[in-house]
Amino acid sequence: MSCWHHTLVRVLVVLGFVTGAVSAGEAQKERVSFEADLQPLLKAKCFRCHGAEVRKGELSLHTAAGIRKGSESGAVVVPGDSAKSRLFELVHKREMPPEKKEALSDREVDLVRRWIDGGATMGKEVAPNKLEVSQHDVIPIVLLRCTACHGRQKQEAGLDLRTRSAMLKGGKSGPVFVPGKPDESLLLKRIRAEEMPPRSRLTEVSVKPMEAEELSKLTRWIELGAPEAVEEPEVAGTATDPLVRAEDRDFWSFQPPQAVTAPNVKHADRVRNSIDAFVLQKLEEKGLSLSPEADRLTLIRRAAFDLTGLPPEPAEVEAFLADRADDAYEKLIDRLLASARYGERWGRHWLDVAGYADCEGRREQHLPRPFAWRYRDYVIRSFNADKPYDRFLQEQFAGDDLADYEHAAEITQELEDNLVATAFLRMAPDPTWANLTGFVPDRLEVMADVIDVIGSGVMGLTMKCARCHSHKFDPIPQRDYYRLVAIFKGAYDEHDWLKPELISYGGAMSAGFGERYLPHVTTAERTRRERLLDEINALKAGPQSPDVEKRFKELEAQRGPEPRIMALWDRGDPSPTYIYRRGDHNIAGSLVSPGPPAVLCRPSNPKRERGRAFPDAPDSGTESREASALADASSYWARPPFAGAKSTGRRLAFARWLTRADHPLTARVMVNRVWKHHFGVGLVRSVGNFGKTGDRPTHPELLDWLAREFVQRGWSLKALHRTIMTSNTYRQRSLVKAEHEQLDPDNRLLSRMPMRRMEAESLRDTLLLVAGQLNETRFGPADAVQVRADGLVLSGKRRSVYVQQLRKHPASLLESFDLPAMNPNCLQRSESLVAPQALHLMNDAGVRELAGQFADRVLREAGADPQQQVQHVYAIALSRPASGDEQDACVQSLERLTDEWSRPSSAGAVSRTDAARRALATVCHTLMNSATFLYVD
Amino acid sequence: MKTICEQSHDLTIGRRSFGTSIAAGLNAAALLHLFGDDLRATEQRGSPDLRSRPTHFSAKAKSVIHLFMNGGPSQMDLFDPKVELDRHHGEAYFSKIAGEVENVADAGALMRSPFKFAQHGECGMWVSNALPHLTRHVDDIALIRSLHTTNITHEPALYIIQTGQMPSGYPTLGSWVVYGLGSESQNLPAYVVLDDPLGLPINGVENWHAGFLPPIYQGTRFRSVGSPVLNLRPEVADSPEIARLQRDLLSRLDRLHQRQRPAQPNLDARIASYELAARMQMSATDALDLSQETAQTQALYGIGSPPTDSYGRRCLIARRLVERGVRFVQLFINAQIWDNHTGLATDMKAACDRTDLPIAGLLQDLKQRGLLDETLIIWGGEFGRLPIAQLPKDKDERKAGRDHNKNAACCWFAGGGVRGGTTYGATDDLGFAAVENRVSVPDYHATILHLLGLNHEELFVNEHGLKEKLTGVQPARVVREIMA
Repeated sequence: MSCWHHTLVRVLVVLGFVTGAVSAGEAQKERVSFEADLQPLLKAKCFRCHGAEVRKGELSLHTAAGIRKGSESGAVVVPGDSAKSRLFELVHKREMPPEKKEALSDREVDLVRRWIDGGATMGKEVAPNKLEVSQHDVIPIVLLRCTACHGRQKQEAGLDLRTRSAMLKGGKSGPVFVPGKPDESLLLKRIRAEEMPPRSRLTEVSVKPMEAEELSKLTRWIELGAPEAVEEPEVAGTATDPLVRAEDRDFWSFQPPQAVTAPNVKHADRVRNSIDAFVLQKLEEKGLSLSPEADRLTLIRRAAFDLTGLPPEPAEVEAFLADRADDAYEKLIDRLLASARYGERWGRHWLDVAGYADCEGRREQHLPRPFAWRYRDYVIRSFNADKPYDRFLQEQFAGDDLADYEHAAEITQELEDNLVATAFLRMAPDPTWANLTGFVPDRLEVMADVIDVIGSGVMGLTMKCARCHSHKFDPIPQRDYYRLVAIFKGAYDEHDWLKPELISYGGAMSAGFGERYLPHVTTAERTRRERLLDEINALKAGPQSPDVEKRFKELEAQRGPEPRIMALWDRGDPSPTYIYRRGDHNIAGSLVSPGPPAVLCRPSNPKRERGRAFPDAPDSGTESREASALADASSYWARPPFAGAKSTGRRLAFARWLTRADHPLTARVMVNRVWKHHFGVGLVRSVGNFGKTGDRPTHPELLDWLAREFVQRGWSLKALHRTIMTSNTYRQRSLVKAEHEQLDPDNRLLSRMPMRRMEAESLRDTLLLVAGQLNETRFGPADAVQVRADGLVLSGKRRSVYVQQLRKHPASLLESFDLPAMNPNCLQRSESLVAPQALHLMNDAGVRELAGQFADRVLREAGADPQQQVQHVYAIALSRPASGDEQDACVQSLERLTDEWSRPSSAGAVSRTDAARRALATVCHTLMNSATFLYVD
Repeated sequence: MKTICEQSHDLTIGRRSFGTSIAAGLNAAALLHLFGDDLRATEQRGSPDLRSRPTHFSAKAKSVIHLFMNGGPSQMDLFDPKVELDRHHGEAYFSKIAGEVENVADAGALMRSPFKFAQHGECGMWVSNALPHLTRHVDDIALIRSLHTTNITHEPALYIIQTGQMPSGYPTLGSWVVYGLGSESQNLPAYVVLDDPLGLPINGVENWHAGFLPPIYQGTRFRSVGSPVLNLRPEVADSPEIARLQRDLLSRLDRLHQRQRPAQPNLDARIASYELAARMQMSATDALDLSQETAQTQALYGIGSPPTDSYGRRCLIARRLVERGVRFVQLFINAQIWDNHTGLATDMKAACDRTDLPIAGLLQDLKQRGLLDETLIIWGGEFGRLPIAQLPKDKDERKAGRDHNKNAACCWFAGGGVRGGTTYGATDDLGFAAVENRVSVPDYHATILHLLGLNHEELFVNEHGLKEKLTGVQPARVVREIMA
């Protein structure tokens, strides 16, 4: 990332020398006129990006006031000191203007230097009537240093310092300041005496003492009579938004998906649905066509791994082969989509986006998240139920705002799900108070991670770049980052952070309830639990016996810990949001109001409307669920979600805006993700970055067609899978031909299906499945991992999605095969190919044990005949018969291995039967290591 | 430099990774060539690898031994004597630095060092009597007294010193180095971590994580007892003949599979990875076999004597690893022996006693073998300590220690490219903050990369549209003043 602070500091060093070389007398020799000399220069070279219309980096140079105000990063001119003036540094270094041919001449650079060193006078222009210090300079300081004890949660000494009027109202000791009289102001007295914030409680409330500079600002404000500036917060998408230009919205991904029709192609016989037409069009331009369809055995294995993460059972394979109907394959896809394994496979993909983990992180003691599993189960159930993606997002972004759970007579499954879903926003590692402290920077990191997950995972935007400065490549001003932050302020407020009480759950400490957890599990679960408690109490009261004792223990085990929901909820009345200059919470900038990024909003002024950017309603005749929704700035309208709600409703408004039918990014990002999981690579390769530095779609029309199709079919993921998987494009074989190598070497045109290695979870689950050891118990608390003394992390026998996800102790087998570390999430897993993978599969005792169990299963099911055994091994592990060569290789090895095992050794003689069993285990183990097992065509 | 810049963090299956397709049935010797040094990173587009690649500019140091001193060693008790601290001993100072103290309830007065300082070597470097053995090597050492960081809590401070960034999830220094330079050994991991058998450091495996770089750039833990790498050998080994039969079957099946799938470089690479695994079994075992060393060498490292045995073994293994071409070796000590909140005089001395002789031995051994010139030794922790005392619960000043300090810390370098005998930077009179020639963590990282021939500006990876670097977006200056 190129960041200009970086350059600046280096430049400063250089400049110290440069300016030192110029004599002071010379600078005064020729006085620079602001109007006559400087303004024309700025107009010619700078106004295009830093003028009245456009204010890149929030800098406008067209007025004296603008020059004084500076940019989003602070002052650009320090009168009398060119060496410290950003404006001079950048023009001197020829970094501005960015176009090299527009660079300032030496004479012009010198003009700027002399103007600044001469005091940077602004001529006749009247000084702006902006207040020297206003409440907006003071409130951020008070929020940072005082409101932990004198704010929304606590009003110690009856004092709330969050606003000017509250300060004047004061607490037990009266008003905290007297306007115009700093020395009589209690607030200043206490701070100056270093009594406030109290030094002994700094750790407890995680507050730092006030800096001298902050104190002088506060003093000056009181001295001036505590003036209040009437300043509208910065908003986006206004008619004349100077930070985002109309043409910025022309970029492909900021426009709603276009209505497109499938093209006509030469190989029309290969078109099964529109996907094929779009793909063939590009292939035919290169003289290629789709590869032939893969054989049925390849198709069923591919489809089963894709949708369920496991190979098809031998019986399913036989049924599919026997079904000669034209739609046998389509029916297979439907069966796989209906499988309960589907949600476990595709839910896992979403858990990568969310950054799921069963613990917090970033501290030595990773606090457990004893109830995160409810979110994992919610995701799996949602995928299995084909919950519309728009609803799925609304629940995760704002489930607490969807319905009143606090006053509900009954907590239904839907109400519980609404709350459980919001754990999506709690998946970022939260280190606050895992140790002793939870300072503001730690809180801001949590919020930054949440924005990162939402930005890259759901919106396809690298929003996080705009935390410290306006985005360098995309039209995302820094303002828009903080406007997004403000949306979450009702729950994530760095000045009003819920301090968790650490509570022991089964011996491990966790953040307590009321901070990250709610008690609103379904009434049904509560009732079950109460009955259990009644029974336990009855047993306790009654006569004791060994039977009673046994029953008592059973019931206690069933009871488990007090049920809770990991959730995020809006508490209303959040702190105001200020931009943090350079991302530094100590330097507050302008006040902002919550709202979505300007580039994704249509300006309210219709004059700005541009033809292609905002088309009319979707095609007539289609079933749009939200007819004719136009992305309008006013479409983000936060209000309390229901009568009597404390909530700001900001997140719900955002979720509704995000799931508009014509949102430029939401549907595109999701269909691209689904495509990536089917084809290994997205149509947009950079799945988390649809911005200027991201990749362009290889098939833009196809992407738009899929996005619109997705929305029109009610945001149904299963319909999307069906469309993709029944296409001829998906059914291609994976063989790489010479013409492919020549004309489509990277398979960007999809001239064949990519061959892919099983993902970590698929591999582990398949090893367990073929060995007959997979425990398919679904849902519930995480299956704990065991950390062995040598560091190996063992992971039981349940499907990997249910295995405890600890950041520090990932299950070794999964980690070897690229299980990602969630920091904070993972959009693109890597596929490494390294020796430790071979070591793990060859030597790990657990894998070897599974091979033995696989062999036992084959012996049971196929008997003692080596030919039969080998065919059965292939049927189970590869869902196909062994070829002649494979059969020969395996049978020969079986014989030799049996001989070898029968050989008397120091360990004693082994019977021929036992030797044959061991030989079979070795063959099974070899298959588990083979490429044909690990790769899916 | 172009080659490294062009590596994109793009992990789709590389179609051109190995040039034209490799015919099925190639023997292992030919496959070895795939991992030889001939192929340059320029050809790399898809699968990440560990092939050795050229530096940005020439440099003496080829490999690194990072002696990580977790916990935060106390600068004014080891390398930075403070006369003023003696003079003002016992005076109150807390209120002036209240915002910089982690445990405010235990904060005491200014505290002089319980150790005595003297000048050593031709260069006259000041070192306290807590490190008697190191004093023999000060003319090979460049000491920085003005390192400073930005956080006073272990976990974030560790992320900062290891990865340059406060949040977790960024690649560590070692990962960046092997990403940039690959490895000289194709039989051993490029980045080896020697952790303490007594336990993992704070932040555990995150101290050597590759973050968003591909996992092959992650540190591999070598245990100094037992099997060095997880699953290096089966727990119950089969007879050699059975192992051979199994290898033959696997090889036959894989080639049958490969023959039907031409132009799939991953299949070639996979076969090669099994060969590499076999070689690693030999090499790793050999590298860790200290019985090959003479008694004299072992004694040099303090092997066999209780306080130094454990760390001495790791230091000697480190030498054996860099000899074998491992690029980056990182040594840890259990938990935080340098985190001396209390018992400074006793506990910090104990930490010195465990490490001083082995480190001196390592420096001497590398030097006499001519390896010091091409090895960069780095010594340091995640932050320094405060000039005021931290008192134990019973407020007994004799058992006082020091709390964390982000404003000043010491570190030192030795070996390839380093100007020995240098003392660089200075703290204020009390040793609270670096004031002269301040060295930030990005400066420190840029300097290390420079000593290895890498330009920190040009070593980056494209991640989510960002050019991510070890030094991040912060300004970074190479501290040339410590270089030869």
